[in-house]
Amino acid sequence: MESRKIYNRIAVLRKDKSLTRNELADKIGVNFQTIGYLEREEYNPSLDLAFRISEVFELPISLIFSIKPLMPLSQLLTKK
Amino acid sequence: MEMKKSIKKRRIGVIFTLLSLCSMVLIFEYCKIEQRDSAIIAIEIIPIIIFIVSFILTFIKTGLWGFIHKPLKKLDEREIALTSKSLRYAYGIFTVVTLILLLSLAITYTQIDVVLVASLILFAHILPASYIAWTEKDI
Repeated sequence: MESRKIYNRIAVLRKDKSLTRNELADKIGVNFQTIGYLEREEYNPSLDLAFRISEVFELPISLIFSIKPLMPLSQLLTKK
Repeated sequence: MEMKKSIKKRRIGVIFTLLSLCSMVLIFEYCKIEQRDSAIIAIEIIPIIIFIVSFILTFIKTGLWGFIHKPLKKLDEREIALTSKSLRYAYGIFTVVTLILLLSLAITYTQIDVVLVASLILFAHILPASYIAWTEKDI
């Protein structure tokens, strides 16, 4: 089964929290290169990893990950 | 895993490593058939040097060798998936190559010698890292 591409806002949220890839990697317990893969959407995280990421950013998973291309958070807020 | 080399350079390194390994066996077999025992050491040195140099540059310096030998506990989920995939492909390639080799040796009634076995051990050991070096993008 070929998995679907999962879009995410990790890069934006990480920069917003002023975290380096290394710092985020340490917080969620992965190699810093995996953060690069996640940010480039070249790797789909497991549910456990997705939960750990959502805990770091204190946001629900649905705001960080999507199966459809994500619009910028500012655009999302003004839309609401 | 510190893979800073470009994928093109890594692929060239993999080709050189595997070709030099293959050359070692072929030169040894040729010298054995032609009964040129004294010439073996002289000629065999060239592919051995190429093998050592390309192996160090492609696998050791890039950190691939260390990565492939890391304990499972020290790998994250992406790295576990990557190593599992590389081992799966390596197993498939090694099985096909070894079985074809054994079949051809059986057909030609050729004796298996220590150089061939040593090369196969090296080949089996290098394959998973070669797969990663061949497929992984630059980061």
